[in-house]
Amino acid sequence: MISDHIRKTFTILFVLGFFAYLFGPLIIMSLTAFNSSAFPRVTPWECFSVEWFQFLGKDAKLIEGLQNSIFIGIGVVVLAVPLGLSGALMLTQVKERVRPWYYTVTISPILVPGVVLGISTLLFWDRVGTMFGASRESVFYNGFFLTIIGQATFISAYTMLVFISRLQRFDRVQEEAALDLGATHVQTFRKILLPFLKPAIASAAVLAFLASFENYNTTVFTIVSESTLTTFLAAKVRHGINPSISALAVVIVALTLFGAALHEVFKRRELAAEKESARIAKGEQVTRRSKNRFITDPAVILIFLVTIAGLGTIYFAGTMGLDECKAAVKAEKQRVVQERVKKREQKSMFQDAGRQALTPVPKGAGAKSRPAPGTSNFQGLFSPDNLEEQAGTKEAEQEQEKTRAAGTEQFQGIFAPQNLEEQSGASEEQQ
Amino acid sequence: MGRYWQEFFLRNGTALALYLLISVACWMLLMIILPQIFMLDFSFRTNVPPPLWGTEAHGYTMEHYQYMVYGSAQSTDSYNFVDLSVFGRTILTAIFVTLIDVALCYPVAYYLAHVASGGWARLMVMALIVPFWVNELLRAFAFKIMFGSTGIINNFLVAIGILDQPFDFIRNGVALYSGLSYAYILLMIFPIYNAVESLDKNQIEAARDLGCPWWRIHWRVVIPHAKPGITSGCTMVFMLTAGALAAPQILGGPSSLWFTQIIYQAFNQAGNWARGSAYAIILLSTSIIFVLCMMKIFKVKLGEIAR
Amino acid sequence: MSADVQLDQVWIQFGDFVAARDVNIHIQEGEFFSFLGPSGCGKTTLLRAVSGFSEPSEGRVLIGGQDMAGIGPNKRPTALIFQNLALFPLMTVWENIAFSLEVKGVGTKERRKKAEELLELIALPGQGEKMVNELSGGQKQRVAIARALAAEPDVLLLDEPLSALDLKLRQHMRTELRAIQQRVGITFIYITHDQGEALTMSDHVAVMSQGIIQQVGDGNTIYDQPETAFVASFVGENNLFKGKVSEISADYALVDTSAGNIRARTSKGKDRLSAGDEAYVFIRPESLKIANASEFDNRIGANIKQQEFEGSFWQVFFDVEGSDRDVKLSTVNDGSTLIHKVGDKVDLGFSADMAIATPAGELAAE
Repeated sequence: MISDHIRKTFTILFVLGFFAYLFGPLIIMSLTAFNSSAFPRVTPWECFSVEWFQFLGKDAKLIEGLQNSIFIGIGVVVLAVPLGLSGALMLTQVKERVRPWYYTVTISPILVPGVVLGISTLLFWDRVGTMFGASRESVFYNGFFLTIIGQATFISAYTMLVFISRLQRFDRVQEEAALDLGATHVQTFRKILLPFLKPAIASAAVLAFLASFENYNTTVFTIVSESTLTTFLAAKVRHGINPSISALAVVIVALTLFGAALHEVFKRRELAAEKESARIAKGEQVTRRSKNRFITDPAVILIFLVTIAGLGTIYFAGTMGLDECKAAVKAEKQRVVQERVKKREQKSMFQDAGRQALTPVPKGAGAKSRPAPGTSNFQGLFSPDNLEEQAGTKEAEQEQEKTRAAGTEQFQGIFAPQNLEEQSGASEEQQ
Repeated sequence: MGRYWQEFFLRNGTALALYLLISVACWMLLMIILPQIFMLDFSFRTNVPPPLWGTEAHGYTMEHYQYMVYGSAQSTDSYNFVDLSVFGRTILTAIFVTLIDVALCYPVAYYLAHVASGGWARLMVMALIVPFWVNELLRAFAFKIMFGSTGIINNFLVAIGILDQPFDFIRNGVALYSGLSYAYILLMIFPIYNAVESLDKNQIEAARDLGCPWWRIHWRVVIPHAKPGITSGCTMVFMLTAGALAAPQILGGPSSLWFTQIIYQAFNQAGNWARGSAYAIILLSTSIIFVLCMMKIFKVKLGEIAR
Repeated sequence: MSADVQLDQVWIQFGDFVAARDVNIHIQEGEFFSFLGPSGCGKTTLLRAVSGFSEPSEGRVLIGGQDMAGIGPNKRPTALIFQNLALFPLMTVWENIAFSLEVKGVGTKERRKKAEELLELIALPGQGEKMVNELSGGQKQRVAIARALAAEPDVLLLDEPLSALDLKLRQHMRTELRAIQQRVGITFIYITHDQGEALTMSDHVAVMSQGIIQQVGDGNTIYDQPETAFVASFVGENNLFKGKVSEISADYALVDTSAGNIRARTSKGKDRLSAGDEAYVFIRPESLKIANASEFDNRIGANIKQQEFEGSFWQVFFDVEGSDRDVKLSTVNDGSTLIHKVGDKVDLGFSADMAIATPAGELAAE
């Protein structure tokens, strides 16, 4: 029995650990969005700030990428929803023996690696373009066209799955009834099938848009000279990091949570309406509660209020007292650095001869020439961290601008974060 | 056959019948089948700039595939160790990541399906989906922050004294492997969860009644039942990991180059589209072989890609 | 407006399977006509051929004298009430009823008015705003009828509409349907496997089995003068004796059965009996009497096996030599108690006119 207990505890710990693994990185990233430090970090925490969100809004390339993503998303919806619908309708009508093959071919784009889809789309349409002798400006080489087609190749398979599932619950006899009553085929499609499919069309459209919006592997090949939000992000993340990216993540999560909450409310209303109908059929007298409009549903209003209140609170927390906080942080940094310099000056006064090499450390590169004992790994480590360093030096330069007036040139280069740490590491070694 | 088409047009009306035929044909031919065929053809041709496509100069050759194995004519190595090792590492890592994901996800899926009580289970299942609303690029970025030299992991390890200096997780690939294991967890856990959930609890009870130790219950009762879910999860995770581009670009160091990055370079830096296509075909073939193997070994059909 | 329906040498075949075989029927305009037969006999297939959902492999379907070949279901002057009703779940009751007008382009006000009229006709006034899934089974039934009538068809086709209803409702709807038909005056073609329905509601009945029309006639004729063994065994209850024809005349035959020689009327169908043929002799339970004196043409020795009291009837079951099934006798409970007890040996008597001999052939399933 004890082993049972141990096993149970272990399992629960495992599950908790799993969720920590799942949410941990995201929570940390979200927190970095609110830290005023120029490099995304949680420790040390400087000030609670929403400046990175405002920074997001001002980034022109980001806005451009966002607009392109939305444009492409809409294009994909317009293409993939009808294609998925035909795919699903055809599936129900092809002969029995053909059906598995048909299904395999239409599902295959989901299994094909995204990069392969992107490349093949690019090659195919460019080749078609050269066959027609089209110019470079024509649609065959256009990033938007290629991306919409490339994404729609596999997104149509997703929408098709949505429609297949919905169609299974459709009683085809209704179509016969409509025909029998005099409707043409087009009228039957419009008045009987489409209204039934409306919820599926909505979910397929949302699914298609979201899948298109977040796609990277295929887009990066087909987008040619344009950019989308994802390709912009990828470039940004590789070449220059600041917490505005974390801010973007927070925005996305918040929007999705908001959407999900509304969706939950919507579903509950539907369920309630169905229950009401069933009771009316049994002959019970029921007061119609679900006929009130979605917008005026109390749950919806509550969600909106909470969202607005939350946003307002965060905004105020992040902007009020920010300047004072930043000034305090900067003062603290200066104080720490001054202390260190004092300490070193004291030491150098004691050990003049041997410590000549230790005077104010030059920018960044100095670390390479003097590895601290016991950290042999440290030497090669600065290559990927060059980025950090650049950000660090940028920060250093910004600080320099501000402190120059105060006449602290001697601390040039000392503000670089690494140097601070290295200094503290080194001085601790000496102690 | 003629009667089939006659009935088809009768059942749908001319307008709808034409719409169905044309749209499905376009999708299948123009978007699914032909582009792959063109890419295959392209990979067997010499690398010439677009204006020369289709002309005499655009002849057939095996050189790109040969390049992958033997390397360029100028190199002194007998084989193209760089590209081959990248390919090998990509595949092996993908398998490794898949196994890690199974090990991680199976217990959790089982716990959610059978051990956790109803309300909690549902909440946790919903909670599972939330991280995956965040774009894969941003998730990779989160890992980059975490594993950076001033990231929380290094800070923690230094603070408690395990490390003296921040460790470069990125360069030696730990960050990438963690990031990849993380990236597709959702696709592993849901198929397994669905499969395990459909198992009648009574079977587990019966096995326990008969004196089966817990590990045997899993081995003989639960896992065989969950086989299609596990297979589906493994297939998706392997394919997505082998074909991943964002995570390697963001989290990868020079020693953990990914095969897709070579393809990317061939297109964007070397300008050798033909070689890029050849490598893409190799990636595609590997994926197809993997899927077929999984289907054969575990006797699963293609309809198990429930998303 | 009403129209007659004619099926002229209609064959309907799906691959190797023949669903309807050489059907020739003329349905008069304004009559209530039923197709009666067990499941799978082909009646639904015929209905779909009349309504236009399938074309016959051979032969013609004529409505109002006009050949319907190549004319789709939406262009034919027919309306079909499906077995599962197929009401439109996303539309209200009145929208359902007025659908046929909507597709013709009639304006909303007029459609609403027409729908209200029909709701009155089917005794559901003011229920127009409800959704279909808020109605009970019987109410849905009537809405389906109203929807079909709104299309003003010349022929109304009904595919086993009452099979999903419970007994009481079914009986109530039988009278209602007949009343509606007589009020509206259009041709009704009704298919069912329930003979009670067919016999009470219809002007004429066609009995079908395995794609073949066994007999067409009014209720009395079908019951009293079956033309084939199938009709005799399917419609109502009938006792069966198998044998061989030893003598035959214009209207009567003498059949040698294991229970003795039986004199019976001959059936007047397409197949006629001749001497030496295998024949089946049928006697209805209500036509049997326990014979005291030799006042009957036929007498059969039997042992009383069981007696059941059913309120207004006595059912008595007999063991008869040479017959593998029990013979059943029904008699009205007119106060006189039955003198005999279980196990008694008695004689069963019946006149030749009450018995009918048909050529041996397919029997209805038990």
